[in-house]
Amino acid sequence: MSSFADIVLPAVARLNLRGRLAHARATTLLVAVGLLATTLAVVVALGPARAPMLGGFIRIDATSRLFLVVVNAIFLGIAGYVWNRVSAAPALHVRATRFVTLTLAFLAAANTVLVGNHLLLLWVALEATTLAAAPLIVRPGVRASQQASWRYLLFSSVGLGLVLLGFGCLARGMEADGHVPTFFIDRLPEVASGHANIWTKLGLSFVLLGLGTKLGLAPMYSWLPEAYDEAPPAVTALLAAVQFNCALVVLFRIVHVYRPQNGSVIAGVLLAMGLASMGVSTLNLIATRNLKRLIAYASINHAGVIAIGLGVGKSAAYGLLLYVVSNAFIKAILFLTAGQIKAHYRTKDTRQIAGLLKHLPYSGVFLMVGTFALLGFPPFGSFLGELLVLSALVSSNQMLVFAAFCVLVTMSFVATGRTIFPMIWGHRKEAQAWPRQTFVSVLPKIVFLFVLLALGLYIPPVINGLMREVASSLGGA
Amino acid sequence: MSPLLIALLGILLLPLFVATWRMSLFGLAAQGLLMGWIAYRMGPPPTTASEWLTLVDLVVVRGLWAPLALYGILRAQGADAHRDVVAPNLLTWTVALGMVVASFTFSEALVAESGQQQTLISVAGAGVLLGFLVLATQASPLSQMMGALRIENAIALFELGGERHHEPLWLQLAQTSVVALTVLLYRRYLSMLGGSAAPTEEGALEEPTI
Repeated sequence: MSSFADIVLPAVARLNLRGRLAHARATTLLVAVGLLATTLAVVVALGPARAPMLGGFIRIDATSRLFLVVVNAIFLGIAGYVWNRVSAAPALHVRATRFVTLTLAFLAAANTVLVGNHLLLLWVALEATTLAAAPLIVRPGVRASQQASWRYLLFSSVGLGLVLLGFGCLARGMEADGHVPTFFIDRLPEVASGHANIWTKLGLSFVLLGLGTKLGLAPMYSWLPEAYDEAPPAVTALLAAVQFNCALVVLFRIVHVYRPQNGSVIAGVLLAMGLASMGVSTLNLIATRNLKRLIAYASINHAGVIAIGLGVGKSAAYGLLLYVVSNAFIKAILFLTAGQIKAHYRTKDTRQIAGLLKHLPYSGVFLMVGTFALLGFPPFGSFLGELLVLSALVSSNQMLVFAAFCVLVTMSFVATGRTIFPMIWGHRKEAQAWPRQTFVSVLPKIVFLFVLLALGLYIPPVINGLMREVASSLGGA
Repeated sequence: MSPLLIALLGILLLPLFVATWRMSLFGLAAQGLLMGWIAYRMGPPPTTASEWLTLVDLVVVRGLWAPLALYGILRAQGADAHRDVVAPNLLTWTVALGMVVASFTFSEALVAESGQQQTLISVAGAGVLLGFLVLATQASPLSQMMGALRIENAIALFELGGERHHEPLWLQLAQTSVVALTVLLYRRYLSMLGGSAAPTEEGALEEPTI
C-alpha cells in the first residue's frame, strides 16, 4: 500500500491547497509531502517485491523500488530548496501556491510511472508529468521562457506521440505472431517471445526514438538546452533529475521485455542515438558560454552515455545504473547551484563569473565537486559507472564505438573544465558584497553530495542488491 | 470505407495547398469527424461505454473541441487570414506528395493483402509523415500545433485499424483527457505567443524566481 500512497499522497495534498491556510503554507506542505513520500519510498524499497495489485496495473519490482527512493529523495531536496527560496523572498509567496499545485501533480504522475505495470498507464502518467511541468517553465513576463516552454511541450507531445504509435505497432506485432495483445508489462515477455517481425521492429524504433526525445537524445534534443536554461532552477532540477529518470524507467521496461528477441534493433538504435548525442553535445559544450546551457549540454552528453550503456547491455548494466543514479544527484546539485549563482551575479555568462570559492563559498564548492562528479572523477559513482560501460564496450568488441566514446568524453571533459574552472578559482575584477548563504539554504545540496560520495565509496547492501536486480533485468551479468 | 479513407487523405493534403488558418482548422475538424465516421463504420454499432468514448474522443475532442479552441484565440487576435502550413513552393509540395507515395509503398510491406487495412495504414502513415513535414518546415506556434495535432490524429487513425481489445474505461478516459488537456495548453500558448514566429531575446533576467 505504501507505493499506492506515494501516488495518492501528492494528489490529495494538491487538492488540499484550496484551503486558505494551505495557501499560506504551500511550500511547507510541499516539504511535508516530499518527506512523507520519501519515507514511504524507503519503506517500499526495504520491503520485498510484490505481486501486481489494483487489477494488475500497479507492480512493485526492483526497478520501482530503486527509482522510488531516488526520485522521491531528489524531490524532497528540491522541495527544501523551494521552501528556503520562498522563505527568503516573500515576493515569491504569491506564485508559490500555483508552483506547489503543479509540482505535486507532477510528483503523483512521476510515482505512477515508476510503479505502473501497464504500458498505456505509463504513457498517460509520463504525459501528465509533461502537462504539469510545461507551465512551470514559464517565468512571468519573460518571452524566452514562454517559447522554451512551448518547445518543451511540442517536442514532448511529438515524442510521446511516437511512443504511443510504437506501442500500437508492438500490439500489431503480437497479433501477427498469433497472440492476443497485452500492455501489462509482467505478461509481455510471454507474448513478445516470438520471432522479431517487421511490426515489432518498427514499434521498437518508434518507442526508442520517442523516449529518446523525452531523454534529450539526438536527433530530437533541441528543446532541452532551451528549457533547462529558461526554467527556474527548481523546475530544471525536476526535469533533469526526476522526469528524466521516469522516462528512463519506461525505457528500461521496454529493453527488459524486448532485448532477448530484438537485441540487435535495440542496440543499433541506442548506440546510434547515444553517439550522435555525445557528438552534438560536445560541439555545443565547446561553443557555449552560458552556465545553465553548459550543464544542459553535459546532461545530453550523459544521456548519450546512458543510451550507449543500455545499448551494450551485459556487464555495462550495473555500471549504467550506478551512472544513472549518480547522475540524478549531480544534475540536481548543479542546476540548483547554477540558479543560486545566476541570482547573485545577475548573469549566466560564464566569462562574467569568477572567484566563486571566495565570493560564494558554498556554491563554489558545490560547483567544483559537482563538476568533478560530472566529469567522472574518482571517487564518485559516475567514475566507476563510466569505467564499467567502457569495459563492456571493449568486451563486446564494439571498438569503433569505444574509440568514438573516448574521443568525445575527452573533448567534453576539456570543454567543461575550460569553462567552469576559471569560474571557481579565477579573480573577479570588481569586489562586490554578496549576501551570505545560510547553512539551511544549502542543506539539500549537502545531502545530495553525501549520497553522491556514498555511491562511489560505499553503497548500502539494500541499494546495491536492488541495483544488481535491475541490472540483471536489463540483461546484465 | 475506402472512400472515407481517401477523403481523409484529401483532407490531410488540402491545407498544404490552400494557405489560410481557417482551412487548417477546417482540415483538423474534418479529420476528427471523418475518423469518427470511419470508427462507426468499422464495426457493429457502438453499444459499450468504451466504444462510445472512442467516438467522443474522435468527434467531440479532436473534431470539434480542438479546432474551436484554437479558432477562438485566433479570431480574438485578429490573425492574418493567409498562413502557409508548408512553404508555398514546388519543392515542398513535391516532398509532400512523395511522402504520400512512400507511405502507400511502405504499407505494402507491412500489410501483405491489399484492401481496407492496407489503405488505413497508408493514410495513417501519410498523416504522420505530413505532420513531421509541417513541423520541420515551420517555426510559428500555430503551424507547429497543426503539425503535432495532425500526428496525433494519424496515430488515432492507426489505432482504429488494430483488433479491438478495449482497455479499461478509466484508462481510455485518461488518454482522452490527455488529448483534451494538451489542446487546452496549446490554446494557452497560442494566446501567450501569438500565431506567428517572433524573435526571441536572449534569456532575460527578471525578478527573483522559484
